[in-house]
This record gives sequence, structure tokens and C-alpha cells, in this order.
Amino acid sequence: MIDVKNLHKTFEDNHVLRGVDYHINPGEKIVVIGPSGSGKSTFLRCLNLLETPTSGEIYLEGELITDPNVNLNKVRQKMGMVFQHFNLFNNLTILDNITLAPVKLKLMSKDEAAEKAFSLLDRVGLRDKADAYPSSLSGGQKQRIAIVRALAMNPKVMLFDEPTSALDPEMVGEVLEVMKELAEAGMTMVVVTHEMGFAREVGTKVLFMDEGTIVEENTPDAFFGDPKSPRLKDFLSKVL
Amino acid sequence: MQSWFIHVGEMFQRAFIKEDRWKLYLSGLGVTLKVAFFAAILGVILGTVAALMKLSVKKNGKPSVRSIIATIYIDIIRGTPSVVQLLIMWFIIMKNCRNGVLVAVLSFGINSGAYVAEIIRAGILAVDHGQTEAGRSLGLSQAQTMMYIVIPQAIKNVLPPIGNEFIVLLKETAIVGYVSLSDLTRVANQVSSRTYEAFMPLIGAAVIYFVIIKILSILLGRLERRLRKSDRR
Repeated sequence: MIDVKNLHKTFEDNHVLRGVDYHINPGEKIVVIGPSGSGKSTFLRCLNLLETPTSGEIYLEGELITDPNVNLNKVRQKMGMVFQHFNLFNNLTILDNITLAPVKLKLMSKDEAAEKAFSLLDRVGLRDKADAYPSSLSGGQKQRIAIVRALAMNPKVMLFDEPTSALDPEMVGEVLEVMKELAEAGMTMVVVTHEMGFAREVGTKVLFMDEGTIVEENTPDAFFGDPKSPRLKDFLSKVL
Repeated sequence: MQSWFIHVGEMFQRAFIKEDRWKLYLSGLGVTLKVAFFAAILGVILGTVAALMKLSVKKNGKPSVRSIIATIYIDIIRGTPSVVQLLIMWFIIMKNCRNGVLVAVLSFGINSGAYVAEIIRAGILAVDHGQTEAGRSLGLSQAQTMMYIVIPQAIKNVLPPIGNEFIVLLKETAIVGYVSLSDLTRVANQVSSRTYEAFMPLIGAAVIYFVIIKILSILLGRLERRLRKSDRR
């Protein structure tokens, strides 16, 4: 579904990604872990081209999306993104946050979008917040809304950039719960996170990134039970 | 004491009542408001366009031609006195047009636009970049993200400094006498040269300016409070 070939990204003279190759199949839940500065967020942000790769190729369902002539906006409609800091639109109500993109991009009528929004809001238990503004919500609620907003576009794949890192500890659970349900429903997911429990429970593959490359990649059991590289052993000994 | 009151009363009489002079102040105020109003509209339009131009970057991150043009415009306007700009407009650029109001509106509008541009640019930059990223990640274009997400939030940021700019603009129109427009300031001057008394006409003009600006700032304060409501709901 997503094919990444020899991906490089440089910021000024900081070489963040040093050749990443990876293949993601439909329905997979890829969890990316690694120390800060390892390039895992940059890797994720390159997938929907929020960062323009310096070199390398990314294919989405066979289409070369790193081609400069590709319609970026169309590509991004197929990929939902959830950010660390939620990034709900502060000037819009929750309902408008969710329906803005599908309506303005003429994918749905206003009524269809609202109907879709309410059914998604029911799924995350926040129907009563439809007319509220983001500033009145807790962090956990905001992040659940952010997930709903991305889902309203019917994406083929969902990208999560440290979705629980900015949350108070007692709110992490409610967000992970929504993500688990999403995983069970068969969504293809790429998740950058520090939640090892989530990686173990939900991931079909776990990647360890360090210094701009994928150092190790395995199923959760083998990844956590039998880490191969010394760098990963060292990392796991610190976080587990 | 009594004679002092009578004296002031007579001064007031000469400055405002005699020969219906209050009508002069009124028409002067009309000119001032007309110039300020249309210049403010022109300034906001030019300022918005210039701000968006200045914010545009090429794909490689270098400033675009549009942004360089906007930067030059802002530099020139901010680097020269508005009186000089007004005189250049009146005696050089539009020397065949003797419509003082039009010349003043253009000159002040172009002047104000440069300041408004910087205010709007700052307001747009103050909106968290995450808002733009979220919009783009949903597949909205740059223009749609600006229009529906960034600019509505930027308006809240820029309202106080824009209000300030309107106030500065209104007062700055006091120099339109240079292009033979009879605005409030010039009328006060003309009256004082008729009566040989500067006190009443100038204090009167000052009071009128003050009241108008007070009303303007009250209205802007109300608008600001209304826009902030959505933050707390």
C-alpha cells in the first residue's frame, strides 16, 4: 500500500533521514519507536509530504507521490493525520472541525458530512460536544476529536505522530482505546509513539529508528522479547 | 470673575456662532471623516494583498518576486514622511487631477496599507503553524486553509493594532490642508486667522477629534469583545 524507497531528508546541514526503505501492506499497524531526534516523526511527516523528502521515492497504492507534479491535496485526502498537539481548528466548533474538509472539498454535502460526523462522534462518545469550541475540551477529548476529524475523510491510512505525548497521564487511556478500536476495525495505521504497551498489543510490526535509519523491524513479540541490535537492547532497557 | 466668563463667552461666540462658523467645522469634520474612511478601506485592501504577497515563498524556501515587490512597497512608504508622500501625489503623480479628496484618499490609503500589511502579516504568523498543517493534512489547499482557518484566527489577533492604525490615520489626515482641502484642522486655522484668536478654534478642533476617536475606540472594543466570545464558549 505504501512503498518507501531510499528516503532522505536534510534540514539545512542536519541529515535527519539517511535512507529509509519500507513497505506497508493494507491493514498493517506499524508502530515506530526510537529516541528523540531519531527521525521517526520526520519519517511519518514525509509519508503525507508535510515534509518534502530531499531524495527518495514514496508510492501510495502504486502512485509515485514524491513526483513534483502530483496533486498533493488529492494524495493527502487518502491519509489521515493525527498530531501530538491535536491542532483542532480553534475558530470552529467541533462539528465544523470535522465537516470542514469533506464539505469544502466537495466530497460530501453538508448534511452527509454532519451525519457522518455524528456517527463518528458517537463512536468516541463525544456527540454532546458537537457545538462546543476546542478551547472548552480536555486534551483527551481534543485528541479523540482530531482522530474523528481525520476519519471523516474516509482515509485509506491513518498516521499518528505521538498522539498521546502531550496528554495528561489519565487521558492517555481514552485515546489509545479509540486507536485500538480503529485498529480492530481494520484500518491501516502508522503510529509514532512512546507507548510500549500499545506497540506490543496493537502493532503488527514494530520499527526501531535511530540516527535516521530503521535499525530493527520485527513482530512485537520478537521485537520486545528478543531484540537483536545492541542499540535497541540499550533503548528498551531504558524505557521498559 | 464675571467679566472673565463674559470674555470666554464672547470668544466662543466669535469662534463658533458668528457668521454660522460652526457649519465650517462641521464641513471640515466631514472632509476629515471622508478622507479617513475611504483611506482606511483602501489601506486594508492594499495591506491584506501586500501581507499575503510578502508571506508567499517559492518552493525552495527563497522569497518570491511577489514578496520582494511587497517588501519594497512597505520599505518606501515607511521610510518617507506622509506629508512628503501627499505632496508628491498632489504635485507630481496626480498633478492633472485637482480633486483633493481623491488625491488624499489615495495617498493616505497607500500609506496606511504599508502599516496594515505588517500588522496583518504579524497576525497571520501568530496563528500556530499546526493549524495550517492540520488543514493541509486533510487535503485542503493552501488558499482554502488560509481562508477558512488561518485568516479567521488572524483577524482576532490584528483587531487591536488595526484599530490603532485607524486612529493614527484619522489624526494624520490633519495635514490634508497641504493639498488645499478644508478639513477640520484647516478650518480651525482659517477661523483663527479671521478672529485673531487661536485658542477657541484649536481647542474646539482638538475636542472634536478626541470625541470622534473616543467613539471609534469604543466601537472597536465592542467588536473585539464579540469576536473573543468564541474563545470562551
